[in-house]
Amino acid sequence: MRVWRLAIIVLGTLILCSCRGPTSPSSNQASPQSATAMPGRYAALPPQAYTGMPPGEPCPVAPPGMEAGVPLAYTAAGPWTPPGIIPPWPSDEYLRDGGNAGPPLRVGPNGELLGLEMEDTVARYSTLDGRTVVEPSNKVSLYSPHFHAVRQVVDVEIDQQRNRATGVAEPLKPLAPRTSEPVALNTQNLRAVRDISANPAVQLRGRASHATLFAELRPKAFDNFYRVYENLAVIRTGIYVGHEEAILAKGTQAAIAWDHKQAVQIYLDNQAAGATVVSQKPQETYGFGSAPNPRLRLIKVASTPVAEPGDEVSFTIRFDNVGNQPIGSVQIVDSLTTRLEYVPDSAQCSLKARFSTQPNEGESLVVRCLLNEPLPPGHGGVFRFRCIVR
Amino acid sequence: MRRQGSRVAGKPAVVLLVILCLAAGGLAQEPAVHYWHQGVMPPGAIGSRQLQRGGPLAGFFQPVEIKAPHGVSISLAVANQFGPPQEAPRRVGLLIGSVYRLRVTNIPLPQAEGMEIFPTIEIIDRTYAPTDQQVRFAIPVELAPQDMELALQGKFVTRVIYLEDPHNALPTRSSDGQSWFDVAPGRDPLAVADELGRPVAIVRLGARVPDQGPDSNFYFGSPAWVAYPPRTAAQARPVRETAPARPAAAPQQKPLP
Repeated sequence: MRVWRLAIIVLGTLILCSCRGPTSPSSNQASPQSATAMPGRYAALPPQAYTGMPPGEPCPVAPPGMEAGVPLAYTAAGPWTPPGIIPPWPSDEYLRDGGNAGPPLRVGPNGELLGLEMEDTVARYSTLDGRTVVEPSNKVSLYSPHFHAVRQVVDVEIDQQRNRATGVAEPLKPLAPRTSEPVALNTQNLRAVRDISANPAVQLRGRASHATLFAELRPKAFDNFYRVYENLAVIRTGIYVGHEEAILAKGTQAAIAWDHKQAVQIYLDNQAAGATVVSQKPQETYGFGSAPNPRLRLIKVASTPVAEPGDEVSFTIRFDNVGNQPIGSVQIVDSLTTRLEYVPDSAQCSLKARFSTQPNEGESLVVRCLLNEPLPPGHGGVFRFRCIVR
Repeated sequence: MRRQGSRVAGKPAVVLLVILCLAAGGLAQEPAVHYWHQGVMPPGAIGSRQLQRGGPLAGFFQPVEIKAPHGVSISLAVANQFGPPQEAPRRVGLLIGSVYRLRVTNIPLPQAEGMEIFPTIEIIDRTYAPTDQQVRFAIPVELAPQDMELALQGKFVTRVIYLEDPHNALPTRSSDGQSWFDVAPGRDPLAVADELGRPVAIVRLGARVPDQGPDSNFYFGSPAWVAYPPRTAAQARPVRETAPARPAAAPQQKPLP
């Protein structure tokens, strides 16, 4: 019994000791950013800094925890990220677009995309054997914090008294109907004998499908000159070059669509070849005649990694048929996040395509690019559009 | 008999000890939001509590852009006296947890000629902009004409500026001014801002100059601040994508191999 009591007391002591207390200021100084801080008090301040405190004297009035004086500046070595967290961080300062964040998308019985959420960018296409495949793109991140404000106004009242309403003295209730007259007579309806006139439709003025209105956009010529941010071999030609990996990885997350296995392609007689890996030999053998492997690769890049509200951002999606058979009905779908507003008529495609938009749940738009013709193996193109950051 | 009595008295004591231990452990876990604070707390209280939570906050000069209507002049306190007024907007770096007293003059409102207001700014959280973009993405602190008019009428205005959660963003294009709304009666502005995003700054207008004159308490110790150059006209304009010029002599590039 005594041992059990001792165990209870030890358990209680452990629980009390495990409670998290305020972090001491000294522990903050051990952070990477503060490692360069406070070598010599005011010497660490930037030259344009002002201070109201005489040197060497503590701050006369300081918030709790800062009685010894206001901490001096340190030079930030870069955006701080908590250990173990994959950048970009924090998430509320970044806009993300691309990929498939939610559950895997699938195609409904009528060919519609099921599970398309905000920020998703995918492509769907049909294969020769009748399947419909959905492929996501990589993610693109934009640093674009947006600030709002909440206001409260308090009025000072002196020598005034407020009296609350005490209630309703005589509430009036609605009276119930006293009598209800039954239907005593039915009037015989007269049947129409003939149609007096019938005007056939002479012109189709509107078309609605599945209760959702699609806005058809006019196809526009593709500007065949590349922007600065598009000047990458993988965007211009679709051929992945190793030294561009760092540029592509900047501002993107989980480049699932263009890893090395998918990116390094072998072309024989202008035909993409499937790879046959033989474990006994120290090399890989490439050749024709492997199993059908339809595959579409999407690479998405943005014109800038940072944007303020009101700025315009261009998105470019490079698509390539990296499989070994033609694919048809290629459709690239980008569901924009709420803070991205599509610029009308800004969609362009290097191949013949039709563009359309559709409202999404974030009160932004789903931008679609539907290629007019099937995409042979080894071929690809560029789809770009512009957005304004809200 | 005496042993039996101690056993009976000991069991409730042990149960009480266990309950107290568990309750103390639960109370010690601080939430990640400011719900336990209130927007009406005195200036400096919320920011100092934020510093005690740790993180890379202490000593960081958070860039802030103080905006006001055209013609308004703003002074910051240096050594317990206001410095020379400069026309808004001003971009400064403010310490997190400290309270900064401003003097606002040249208010372009009717019947406000010669009048001054003394708002305070308290930074309670920071942003993590890319290294070379910290000043560009300063926290906007806007002194709206409506707020200044209310302050001149003797009312006390509290503005909590928060970083919007992108997944709960308003689907409207940003106008020139900062979008804001009045909190519902009986609700705390800090709690409302915490629900919608991450509060980063609190602005209070309507303070009155002490009868015996400003003292060090009025200036909150005149904490250090950093001056940044104002935006140039080119920086103030939104970035627009322009189609690249088509050089006449440049070879035509093909988009496909």
